[in-house]
Amino acid sequence: MWIAAAAMTRFGRRAETLENLMADAALGAMREADRQPDALVVTVMAPEEFVGEGNFASHIGTYLGLSRVPGLRVETATSSGAAALYAGFALIASGFHDHVLVLGGEKMTHASTPRVSEIISRVIDPHERSYGATMPALAAMVARAALAKGLISETDMAQVAVKNHANGARNPYAHFQKPVTLEGVMSSRVIADPLRLQHCCPISDGAAAVLLTADPTGTKLAGMGQGSDYLAVRYRSSLTGFRATQDAAKAAFRMAGFGPERVQVAEIHDAFVPFEILALEDTGLYPPGKATKAVENGELTLEGRLPVNPSGGLKARGHALAATGLAQVVELVWQLTGRALGRQVKAQVGLAHSIGGMATNNWVTLVEQVA
Amino acid sequence: MMEPIAGSRCPDCGWVVAPPVRICPRHPVEMTPVEISGHGSVLSYTTLMAAPEGFKPPLHIAIVELPGGARIFCHGKETRALKIGRRVAIEQVDGIFYFASLGIADRVTMFWKRRGAAPERTRDAVKSAVKRFFSAYKNGGTAPPFENGGAENGEEKNSGVEER
Repeated sequence: MWIAAAAMTRFGRRAETLENLMADAALGAMREADRQPDALVVTVMAPEEFVGEGNFASHIGTYLGLSRVPGLRVETATSSGAAALYAGFALIASGFHDHVLVLGGEKMTHASTPRVSEIISRVIDPHERSYGATMPALAAMVARAALAKGLISETDMAQVAVKNHANGARNPYAHFQKPVTLEGVMSSRVIADPLRLQHCCPISDGAAAVLLTADPTGTKLAGMGQGSDYLAVRYRSSLTGFRATQDAAKAAFRMAGFGPERVQVAEIHDAFVPFEILALEDTGLYPPGKATKAVENGELTLEGRLPVNPSGGLKARGHALAATGLAQVVELVWQLTGRALGRQVKAQVGLAHSIGGMATNNWVTLVEQVA
Repeated sequence: MMEPIAGSRCPDCGWVVAPPVRICPRHPVEMTPVEISGHGSVLSYTTLMAAPEGFKPPLHIAIVELPGGARIFCHGKETRALKIGRRVAIEQVDGIFYFASLGIADRVTMFWKRRGAAPERTRDAVKSAVKRFFSAYKNGGTAPPFENGGAENGEEKNSGVEER
Protein backbone atom coordinates (compact mmCIF):
# COMPACT_ATOMS: atom_id res chain seq x y z
CA MET A 1 0.00 0.00 0.00
CA TRP A 2 1.43 3.35 -1.04
CA ILE A 3 0.82 7.00 -0.33
CA ALA A 4 0.63 9.09 -3.50
CA ALA A 5 -0.05 12.42 -1.80
CA ALA A 6 -0.86 14.02 1.54
CA ALA A 7 -2.30 17.46 2.18
CA MET A 8 -4.03 19.45 4.90
CA THR A 9 -5.30 22.88 5.78
CA ARG A 10 -4.04 24.93 8.69
CA PHE A 11 -5.92 23.87 11.82
CA GLY A 12 -7.50 26.51 14.02
CA ARG A 13 -10.41 28.88 14.08
CA ARG A 14 -11.27 29.03 10.40
CA ALA A 15 -13.79 31.30 8.67
CA GLU A 16 -14.17 28.98 5.65
CA THR A 17 -17.02 26.48 5.38
CA LEU A 18 -16.40 22.79 6.13
CA GLU A 19 -16.88 22.06 2.42
CA ASN A 20 -14.18 24.57 1.46
CA LEU A 21 -11.72 23.32 4.07
CA MET A 22 -12.21 19.76 2.83
CA ALA A 23 -11.93 20.91 -0.78
CA ASP A 24 -8.60 22.64 -0.04
CA ALA A 25 -7.19 19.40 1.41
CA ALA A 26 -8.67 17.22 -1.34
CA LEU A 27 -7.50 19.43 -4.23
CA GLY A 28 -4.08 19.68 -2.60
CA ALA A 29 -3.72 15.89 -2.58
CA MET A 30 -5.09 15.42 -6.10
CA ARG A 31 -2.76 18.11 -7.52
CA GLU A 32 0.25 16.63 -5.78
CA ALA A 33 -0.49 13.14 -7.08
CA ASP A 34 -1.66 14.54 -10.43
CA ARG A 35 -4.54 12.10 -10.52
CA GLN A 36 -8.16 11.61 -9.58
CA PRO A 37 -9.27 8.84 -7.27
CA ASP A 38 -11.54 5.97 -8.28
CA ALA A 39 -13.13 5.93 -4.80
CA LEU A 40 -13.66 8.41 -2.00
CA VAL A 41 -13.64 7.64 1.73
CA VAL A 42 -14.97 10.60 3.69
CA THR A 43 -14.94 11.15 7.41
CA VAL A 44 -16.56 13.85 9.50
CA MET A 45 -17.44 12.98 13.09
CA ALA A 46 -20.62 14.97 13.62
CA PRO A 47 -21.61 17.05 10.56
CA GLU A 48 -25.30 16.60 11.39
CA GLU A 49 -24.72 18.41 14.68
CA PHE A 50 -22.00 20.90 13.83
CA VAL A 51 -23.01 22.04 10.34
CA GLY A 52 -26.46 20.47 9.84
CA GLU A 53 -25.51 18.33 6.84
CA GLY A 54 -26.11 14.60 6.40
CA ASN A 55 -25.40 12.06 3.62
CA PHE A 56 -21.97 13.58 3.81
CA ALA A 57 -20.04 11.35 1.40
CA SER A 58 -22.42 12.32 -1.40
CA HIS A 59 -22.51 15.93 -0.24
CA ILE A 60 -18.75 16.37 -0.38
CA GLY A 61 -18.40 14.09 -3.43
CA THR A 62 -20.72 16.38 -5.37
CA TYR A 63 -18.95 19.49 -4.05
CA LEU A 64 -15.60 18.08 -5.24
CA GLY A 65 -16.84 16.97 -8.64
CA LEU A 66 -16.33 13.35 -7.63
CA SER A 67 -19.97 12.26 -7.58
CA ARG A 68 -19.37 9.49 -10.13
CA VAL A 69 -16.97 7.48 -7.96
CA PRO A 70 -18.12 5.38 -5.00
CA GLY A 71 -18.13 7.50 -1.84
CA LEU A 72 -18.63 6.24 1.68
CA ARG A 73 -18.45 7.80 5.11
CA VAL A 74 -16.56 6.23 8.03
CA GLU A 75 -16.89 7.26 11.68
CA THR A 76 -15.19 6.04 14.88
CA ALA A 77 -15.43 9.16 17.05
CA THR A 78 -12.13 11.04 17.44
CA SER A 79 -10.10 8.42 15.55
CA SER A 80 -12.33 8.70 12.46
CA GLY A 81 -9.45 9.91 10.27
CA ALA A 82 -7.39 6.81 11.01
CA ALA A 83 -10.44 4.58 10.53
CA ALA A 84 -11.09 6.16 7.13
CA LEU A 85 -7.49 5.45 6.14
CA TYR A 86 -8.03 1.81 7.16
CA ALA A 87 -11.17 1.64 5.01
CA GLY A 88 -9.25 3.14 2.10
CA PHE A 89 -6.47 0.60 2.64
CA ALA A 90 -9.06 -2.21 2.56
CA LEU A 91 -10.68 -0.88 -0.64
CA ILE A 92 -7.33 -1.11 -2.44
CA ALA A 93 -6.11 -4.31 -0.77
CA SER A 94 -9.36 -6.04 -1.72
CA GLY A 95 -8.77 -5.16 -5.36
CA PHE A 96 -11.97 -3.10 -5.61
CA HIS A 97 -10.08 0.14 -6.32
CA ASP A 98 -6.59 1.39 -7.22
CA HIS A 99 -6.52 5.01 -6.07
CA VAL A 100 -8.57 6.07 -3.04
CA LEU A 101 -8.87 9.60 -1.71
CA VAL A 102 -9.26 9.52 2.07
CA LEU A 103 -10.63 12.87 3.22
CA GLY A 104 -11.46 14.09 6.72
CA GLY A 105 -12.65 17.39 8.12
CA GLU A 106 -14.45 19.04 11.00
CA LYS A 107 -15.82 22.53 11.59
CA MET A 108 -16.87 23.36 15.12
CA THR A 109 -15.37 26.62 16.38
CA HIS A 110 -18.55 28.49 15.41
CA ALA A 111 -20.45 26.61 18.16
CA SER A 112 -20.22 27.52 21.88
CA THR A 113 -17.78 25.54 24.00
CA PRO A 114 -20.51 23.92 26.19
CA ARG A 115 -22.34 22.90 22.99
CA VAL A 116 -19.16 21.42 21.44
CA SER A 117 -18.43 19.67 24.73
CA GLU A 118 -21.95 18.22 24.82
CA ILE A 119 -21.74 16.94 21.22
CA ILE A 120 -18.31 15.36 21.80
CA SER A 121 -19.57 13.85 25.09
CA ARG A 122 -21.99 11.67 23.14
CA VAL A 123 -19.04 9.38 22.39
CA ILE A 124 -19.13 8.44 26.11
CA ASP A 125 -21.11 5.59 27.71
CA PRO A 126 -24.65 6.78 28.65
CA HIS A 127 -24.40 5.86 32.37
CA GLU A 128 -21.11 7.71 32.68
CA ARG A 129 -22.34 10.65 30.63
CA SER A 130 -25.47 10.94 32.80
CA TYR A 131 -23.18 11.90 35.69
CA GLY A 132 -21.82 14.82 33.70
CA ALA A 133 -18.70 12.92 32.61
CA THR A 134 -17.12 14.69 29.63
CA MET A 135 -13.92 13.71 27.83
CA PRO A 136 -11.86 16.00 30.11
CA ALA A 137 -13.57 14.45 33.16
CA LEU A 138 -12.72 10.90 32.09
CA ALA A 139 -9.19 11.93 31.11
CA ALA A 140 -8.84 13.59 34.51
CA MET A 141 -9.76 10.33 36.23
CA VAL A 142 -7.20 8.48 34.12
CA ALA A 143 -4.60 11.15 34.96
CA ARG A 144 -5.46 10.97 38.67
CA ALA A 145 -5.00 7.20 38.69
CA ALA A 146 -1.71 7.49 36.75
CA LEU A 147 -0.42 10.17 39.13
CA ALA A 148 -1.35 7.99 42.13
CA LYS A 149 0.55 5.06 40.60
CA GLY A 150 3.58 7.27 39.92
CA LEU A 151 3.34 6.62 36.16
CA ILE A 152 3.37 10.36 35.46
CA SER A 153 4.02 13.54 37.42
CA GLU A 154 2.54 17.02 37.21
CA THR A 155 5.86 18.30 35.86
CA ASP A 156 5.96 15.60 33.16
CA MET A 157 2.49 16.64 32.02
CA ALA A 158 3.52 20.29 31.82
CA GLN A 159 6.75 19.38 29.97
CA VAL A 160 4.79 17.56 27.27
CA ALA A 161 2.61 20.64 26.77
CA VAL A 162 5.69 22.88 26.58
CA LYS A 163 7.39 20.58 24.04
CA ASN A 164 4.32 20.28 21.82
CA HIS A 165 3.75 24.04 21.82
CA ALA A 166 7.43 24.62 20.98
CA ASN A 167 6.92 22.33 17.95
CA GLY A 168 3.62 23.97 17.04
CA ALA A 169 5.37 27.34 17.07
CA ARG A 170 7.46 26.06 14.13
CA ASN A 171 4.52 24.60 12.20
CA PRO A 172 2.58 27.00 9.94
CA TYR A 173 -0.30 24.50 9.90
CA ALA A 174 -0.73 24.53 13.69
CA HIS A 175 -3.68 25.99 15.58
CA PHE A 176 -1.34 27.42 18.24
CA GLN A 177 1.96 28.77 16.93
CA LYS A 178 3.08 30.18 20.27
CA PRO A 179 5.25 28.57 22.93
CA VAL A 180 4.00 28.12 26.51
CA THR A 181 6.07 27.97 29.71
CA LEU A 182 6.17 25.32 32.41
CA GLU A 183 4.82 27.83 34.95
CA GLY A 184 2.16 29.00 32.50
CA VAL A 185 0.89 25.43 32.04
CA MET A 186 0.99 24.59 35.74
CA SER A 187 -0.89 27.74 36.72
CA SER A 188 -3.53 27.64 33.97
CA ARG A 189 -7.10 27.25 35.22
CA VAL A 190 -8.38 23.87 36.35
CA ILE A 191 -10.75 22.18 33.87
CA ALA A 192 -11.18 18.83 35.62
CA ASP A 193 -8.86 18.34 38.56
CA PRO A 194 -5.92 17.43 38.08
CA LEU A 195 -6.19 18.55 34.43
CA ARG A 196 -5.71 22.22 33.62
CA LEU A 197 -6.57 24.15 30.49
CA GLN A 198 -3.01 23.82 29.16
CA HIS A 199 -3.16 20.04 29.53
CA CYS A 200 -6.05 19.86 27.05
CA CYS A 201 -6.19 20.17 23.26
CA PRO A 202 -8.19 22.98 21.67
CA ILE A 203 -11.39 22.88 19.62
CA SER A 204 -10.20 23.29 16.02
CA ASP A 205 -11.47 23.48 12.46
CA GLY A 206 -9.50 21.86 9.68
CA ALA A 207 -9.26 19.18 7.01
CA ALA A 208 -6.70 16.65 5.82
CA ALA A 209 -6.42 14.25 2.89
CA VAL A 210 -4.30 11.24 1.99
CA LEU A 211 -4.38 9.71 -1.48
CA LEU A 212 -3.67 5.98 -1.32
CA THR A 213 -2.59 4.04 -4.37
CA ALA A 214 -1.72 0.52 -5.47
CA ASP A 215 1.10 1.93 -7.66
CA PRO A 216 4.43 2.03 -5.81
CA THR A 217 5.62 5.49 -4.72
CA GLY A 218 8.49 6.08 -2.31
CA THR A 219 6.18 6.29 0.70
CA LYS A 220 4.80 3.05 2.00
CA LEU A 221 1.84 2.59 4.32
CA ALA A 222 3.74 -0.22 6.00
CA GLY A 223 1.22 -1.27 8.61
CA MET A 224 -2.10 -0.43 10.21
CA GLY A 225 -3.69 -1.90 13.29
CA GLN A 226 -6.88 -1.36 15.24
CA GLY A 227 -7.68 -2.07 18.87
CA SER A 228 -10.98 -1.92 20.74
CA ASP A 229 -12.15 -1.55 24.30
CA TYR A 230 -15.46 -1.29 26.15
CA LEU A 231 -17.33 1.96 25.60
CA ALA A 232 -17.74 2.11 29.39
CA VAL A 233 -14.58 3.15 31.20
CA ARG A 234 -15.90 1.40 34.33
CA TYR A 235 -15.73 -2.00 32.59
CA ARG A 236 -11.96 -1.79 32.05
CA SER A 237 -9.49 -3.68 34.16
CA SER A 238 -7.01 -0.80 34.02
CA LEU A 239 -7.58 2.93 33.93
CA THR A 240 -3.96 3.79 33.23
CA GLY A 241 -3.19 1.73 30.13
CA PHE A 242 -5.34 1.55 27.02
CA ARG A 243 -5.86 -1.98 25.72
CA ALA A 244 -7.09 -0.48 22.45
CA THR A 245 -3.71 1.17 21.86
CA GLN A 246 -1.76 -1.94 22.88
CA ASP A 247 -3.73 -4.16 20.47
CA ALA A 248 -3.57 -1.61 17.64
CA ALA A 249 0.21 -1.28 17.97
CA LYS A 250 0.75 -5.07 18.01
CA ALA A 251 -1.37 -5.48 14.87
CA ALA A 252 0.37 -2.62 13.04
CA PHE A 253 3.88 -3.90 13.80
CA ARG A 254 2.83 -7.44 12.83
CA MET A 255 1.65 -6.19 9.44
CA ALA A 256 4.76 -4.07 8.91
CA GLY A 257 7.07 -6.92 9.85
CA PHE A 258 9.24 -4.77 12.12
CA GLY A 259 9.15 -3.62 15.73
CA PRO A 260 8.99 -0.33 17.64
CA GLU A 261 12.81 -0.02 17.53
CA ARG A 262 12.63 1.10 13.89
CA VAL A 263 10.32 4.05 14.62
CA GLN A 264 12.18 7.38 14.44
CA VAL A 265 9.32 9.87 14.68
CA ALA A 266 5.82 9.60 16.16
CA GLU A 267 2.58 11.52 16.09
CA ILE A 268 0.71 10.63 19.29
CA HIS A 269 -2.91 11.41 20.24
CA ASP A 270 -2.28 13.93 23.04
CA ALA A 271 -5.85 15.22 23.37
CA PHE A 272 -4.86 15.39 27.04
CA VAL A 273 -1.10 15.54 27.63
CA PRO A 274 -0.89 12.58 30.06
CA PHE A 275 -2.15 10.43 27.15
CA GLU A 276 1.10 11.09 25.26
CA ILE A 277 3.15 9.59 28.08
CA LEU A 278 0.83 6.59 28.55
CA ALA A 279 0.70 5.98 24.77
CA LEU A 280 4.49 5.85 24.48
CA GLU A 281 4.35 2.75 26.65
CA ASP A 282 1.10 1.30 25.24
CA THR A 283 2.54 1.45 21.69
CA GLY A 284 5.77 -0.24 22.81
CA LEU A 285 7.92 2.77 21.84
CA TYR A 286 9.10 2.79 25.46
CA PRO A 287 9.14 -0.10 27.93
CA PRO A 288 6.71 0.12 30.88
CA GLY A 289 7.78 2.79 33.37
CA LYS A 290 10.37 4.40 31.06
CA ALA A 291 8.31 7.07 29.27
CA THR A 292 8.53 9.70 32.02
CA LYS A 293 12.34 9.48 31.93
CA ALA A 294 12.22 10.15 28.19
CA VAL A 295 10.09 13.24 28.82
CA GLU A 296 12.45 14.46 31.52
CA ASN A 297 15.60 13.79 29.42
CA GLY A 298 14.25 15.70 26.44
CA GLU A 299 14.33 12.58 24.24
CA LEU A 300 10.99 13.50 22.67
CA THR A 301 11.98 16.96 21.40
CA LEU A 302 12.81 17.68 17.73
CA GLU A 303 16.51 17.18 18.54
CA GLY A 304 15.91 14.15 20.75
CA ARG A 305 16.27 10.41 20.18
CA LEU A 306 12.57 9.98 19.27
CA PRO A 307 10.83 13.22 18.26
CA VAL A 308 7.18 12.95 19.32
CA ASN A 309 4.51 15.23 17.89
CA PRO A 310 6.79 17.38 15.72
CA SER A 311 3.58 18.94 14.34
CA GLY A 312 2.68 20.16 17.81
CA GLY A 313 0.28 17.25 18.33
CA LEU A 314 -3.38 17.66 19.14
CA LYS A 315 -2.26 20.04 21.88
CA ALA A 316 -0.77 22.68 19.56
CA ARG A 317 -1.39 21.62 15.92
CA GLY A 318 -4.99 21.26 17.08
CA HIS A 319 -7.75 18.67 17.08
CA ALA A 320 -10.28 18.93 14.26
CA LEU A 321 -11.83 15.57 15.26
CA ALA A 322 -12.18 13.50 12.05
CA ALA A 323 -9.33 15.38 10.34
CA THR A 324 -6.85 14.65 13.12
CA GLY A 325 -6.00 11.01 12.36
CA LEU A 326 -5.23 11.98 8.76
CA ALA A 327 -3.32 15.15 9.73
CA GLN A 328 -1.00 12.92 11.79
CA VAL A 329 -0.23 10.83 8.69
CA VAL A 330 0.22 14.00 6.60
CA GLU A 331 2.83 15.19 9.13
CA LEU A 332 4.63 11.82 8.96
CA VAL A 333 4.70 11.91 5.16
CA TRP A 334 6.12 15.46 5.23
CA GLN A 335 8.72 14.45 7.82
CA LEU A 336 9.79 11.33 5.92
CA THR A 337 10.03 13.18 2.60
CA GLY A 338 11.90 16.21 3.95
CA ARG A 339 9.01 18.66 3.57
CA ALA A 340 8.45 19.56 7.23
CA LEU A 341 10.00 22.98 6.91
CA GLY A 342 11.09 24.54 10.20
CA ARG A 343 10.55 21.38 12.23
CA GLN A 344 12.24 18.73 10.06
CA VAL A 345 13.59 15.64 11.79
CA LYS A 346 15.68 12.82 10.33
CA ALA A 347 13.52 9.72 9.96
CA GLN A 348 12.60 6.89 7.63
CA VAL A 349 9.88 5.26 9.71
CA GLY A 350 7.06 7.09 11.49
CA LEU A 351 4.21 6.00 13.73
CA ALA A 352 0.81 7.65 14.12
CA HIS A 353 -1.45 6.84 17.07
CA SER A 354 -5.10 7.84 17.17
CA ILE A 355 -7.62 7.47 20.00
CA GLY A 356 -11.34 7.12 19.29
CA GLY A 357 -13.65 8.26 22.09
CA MET A 358 -12.26 7.35 25.49
CA ALA A 359 -9.87 4.86 23.86
CA THR A 360 -12.64 2.61 22.56
CA ASN A 361 -11.51 2.40 18.93
CA ASN A 362 -7.81 3.16 18.52
CA TRP A 363 -5.45 2.92 15.57
CA VAL A 364 -1.74 2.74 14.98
CA THR A 365 -0.37 3.50 11.52
CA LEU A 366 3.21 2.94 10.33
CA VAL A 367 4.62 4.89 7.40
CA GLU A 368 7.98 4.01 5.86
CA GLN A 369 10.03 5.91 3.30
CA VAL A 370 11.65 3.33 1.03
CA ALA A 371 13.05 5.44 -1.80
CA MET B 1 -29.74 0.41 56.06
CA MET B 2 -27.55 0.44 53.02
CA GLU B 3 -29.66 0.17 49.89
CA PRO B 4 -28.71 -2.61 47.48
CA ILE B 5 -27.62 -1.58 43.99
CA ALA B 6 -29.13 -3.36 41.00
CA GLY B 7 -26.61 -5.09 38.74
CA SER B 8 -26.19 -8.03 36.39
CA ARG B 9 -24.08 -11.17 36.48
CA CYS B 10 -22.93 -13.21 33.52
CA PRO B 11 -23.97 -16.87 33.96
CA ASP B 12 -20.92 -17.92 31.90
CA CYS B 13 -17.99 -15.85 33.14
CA GLY B 14 -19.41 -14.60 36.44
CA TRP B 15 -18.64 -10.96 35.73
CA VAL B 16 -20.81 -8.50 37.63
CA VAL B 17 -21.65 -5.07 36.23
CA ALA B 18 -23.85 -2.16 37.30
CA PRO B 19 -26.24 -0.64 36.36
CA PRO B 20 -27.94 -3.76 34.92
CA VAL B 21 -27.44 -4.59 31.26
CA ARG B 22 -29.07 -7.26 29.12
CA ILE B 23 -25.97 -8.82 27.57
CA CYS B 24 -22.53 -9.43 29.09
CA PRO B 25 -20.10 -6.84 27.66
CA ARG B 26 -17.49 -9.63 27.35
CA HIS B 27 -19.53 -11.94 25.13
CA PRO B 28 -23.08 -12.24 23.73
CA VAL B 29 -24.66 -14.02 26.70
CA GLU B 30 -27.79 -12.75 28.49
CA MET B 31 -27.06 -11.71 32.09
CA THR B 32 -29.10 -12.40 35.23
CA PRO B 33 -30.11 -9.72 37.76
CA VAL B 34 -28.24 -9.38 41.07
CA GLU B 35 -28.25 -7.01 44.01
CA ILE B 36 -24.96 -5.51 45.15
CA SER B 37 -24.25 -4.12 48.59
CA GLY B 38 -24.14 -0.31 48.50
CA HIS B 39 -20.55 0.46 49.44
CA GLY B 40 -17.15 0.26 47.86
CA SER B 41 -13.78 1.85 47.29
CA VAL B 42 -12.86 4.85 45.15
CA LEU B 43 -10.93 4.00 41.95
CA SER B 44 -10.57 7.57 40.75
CA TYR B 45 -12.34 10.92 40.93
CA THR B 46 -12.37 14.43 39.60
CA THR B 47 -13.92 17.81 40.16
CA LEU B 48 -15.16 19.14 36.87
CA MET B 49 -14.96 22.93 36.66
CA ALA B 50 -16.13 23.07 33.04
CA ALA B 51 -19.40 21.19 33.43
CA PRO B 52 -21.42 20.14 30.36
CA GLU B 53 -24.84 21.55 29.53
CA GLY B 54 -27.34 20.62 32.26
CA PHE B 55 -24.82 20.60 35.14
CA LYS B 56 -23.36 23.30 37.33
CA PRO B 57 -19.69 23.39 38.35
CA PRO B 58 -17.95 22.39 40.50
CA LEU B 59 -19.20 18.90 39.69
CA HIS B 60 -17.70 16.07 41.76
CA ILE B 61 -17.59 12.67 40.07
CA ALA B 62 -16.06 9.41 41.31
CA ILE B 63 -15.73 5.84 40.01
CA VAL B 64 -16.42 3.42 42.86
CA GLU B 65 -15.75 -0.31 42.82
CA LEU B 66 -18.49 -2.27 44.59
CA PRO B 67 -18.18 -5.68 46.28
CA GLY B 68 -17.92 -8.30 43.52
CA GLY B 69 -16.04 -5.94 41.18
CA ALA B 70 -18.78 -3.88 39.51
CA ARG B 71 -17.95 -0.20 39.17
CA ILE B 72 -20.34 2.70 39.11
CA PHE B 73 -20.09 6.44 38.52
CA CYS B 74 -21.42 8.62 41.32
CA HIS B 75 -21.75 12.19 42.41
CA GLY B 76 -20.56 13.59 45.70
CA LYS B 77 -20.54 16.79 47.62
CA GLU B 78 -16.81 17.25 47.29
CA THR B 79 -13.62 15.39 46.48
CA ARG B 80 -11.18 17.37 48.59
CA ALA B 81 -10.72 14.76 51.34
CA LEU B 82 -11.06 11.88 48.89
CA LYS B 83 -8.21 9.49 48.07
CA ILE B 84 -7.94 6.57 45.68
CA GLY B 85 -8.79 3.46 47.70
CA ARG B 86 -10.98 5.34 50.18
CA ARG B 87 -14.07 3.36 51.21
CA VAL B 88 -17.40 5.10 50.74
CA ALA B 89 -21.08 4.37 51.18
CA ILE B 90 -23.33 4.68 48.14
CA GLU B 91 -26.79 6.11 48.27
CA GLN B 92 -29.36 6.25 45.48
CA VAL B 93 -32.09 8.73 44.87
CA ASP B 94 -34.22 8.11 41.79
CA GLY B 95 -31.55 5.93 40.26
CA ILE B 96 -28.72 8.44 40.76
CA PHE B 97 -25.77 7.26 42.89
CA TYR B 98 -24.11 9.47 45.49
CA PHE B 99 -21.01 8.61 47.48
CA ALA B 100 -20.19 9.46 51.10
CA SER B 101 -22.35 10.35 54.01
CA LEU B 102 -23.98 13.68 53.57
CA GLY B 103 -25.85 16.17 55.72
CA ILE B 104 -29.26 17.52 54.73
CA ALA B 105 -27.91 20.89 53.54
CA ASP B 106 -25.29 19.13 51.38
CA ARG B 107 -27.99 17.07 49.71
CA VAL B 108 -30.08 20.07 48.81
CA THR B 109 -27.07 21.80 47.18
CA MET B 110 -26.05 18.64 45.38
CA PHE B 111 -29.46 17.90 43.88
CA TRP B 112 -29.70 21.49 42.78
CA LYS B 113 -26.69 20.93 40.53
CA ARG B 114 -28.32 18.21 38.49
CA ARG B 115 -30.28 18.82 35.33
CA GLY B 116 -34.07 18.84 35.39
CA ALA B 117 -36.95 21.12 36.26
CA ALA B 118 -36.96 22.93 39.59
CA PRO B 119 -39.94 21.02 41.10
CA GLU B 120 -38.27 17.72 40.22
CA ARG B 121 -35.02 18.79 41.84
CA THR B 122 -36.84 19.99 44.95
CA ARG B 123 -38.61 16.65 45.18
CA ASP B 124 -35.31 14.76 44.90
CA ALA B 125 -33.70 16.93 47.53
CA VAL B 126 -36.61 16.40 49.93
CA LYS B 127 -36.61 12.65 49.29
CA SER B 128 -32.92 12.51 50.04
CA ALA B 129 -33.29 14.58 53.19
CA VAL B 130 -36.11 12.34 54.43
CA LYS B 131 -34.05 9.27 53.70
CA ARG B 132 -31.16 10.75 55.63
CA PHE B 133 -33.45 11.45 58.57
CA PHE B 134 -34.78 7.89 58.66
CA SER B 135 -31.41 6.25 58.23
CA ALA B 136 -30.09 8.32 61.13
CA TYR B 137 -33.14 7.34 63.17
CA LYS B 138 -32.73 3.62 62.43
CA ASN B 139 -29.06 3.86 63.26
CA GLY B 140 -29.85 5.17 66.71
CA GLY B 141 -28.99 8.72 65.82
CA THR B 142 -25.62 8.09 64.20
CA ALA B 143 -24.84 8.84 60.58
CA PRO B 144 -24.43 6.01 58.09
CA PRO B 145 -20.89 4.70 57.77
CA PHE B 146 -18.59 6.74 55.54
CA GLU B 147 -15.02 5.65 56.01
CA ASN B 148 -15.87 1.98 56.49
CA GLY B 149 -18.41 0.81 54.00
CA GLY B 150 -20.27 -1.85 55.97
CA ALA B 151 -18.12 -4.91 55.37
CA GLU B 152 -16.36 -4.41 58.67
CA ASN B 153 -19.67 -3.90 60.48
CA GLY B 154 -20.59 -7.52 60.02
CA GLU B 155 -23.35 -6.58 57.60
CA GLU B 156 -21.82 -8.57 54.81
CA LYS B 157 -22.09 -12.30 55.24
CA ASN B 158 -21.09 -13.06 51.66
CA SER B 159 -19.45 -11.39 48.66
CA GLY B 160 -21.93 -8.52 48.75
CA VAL B 161 -23.62 -9.75 45.57
CA GLU B 162 -26.92 -11.61 45.73
CA GLU B 163 -29.22 -13.12 43.13
CA ARG B 164 -32.50 -11.29 42.86
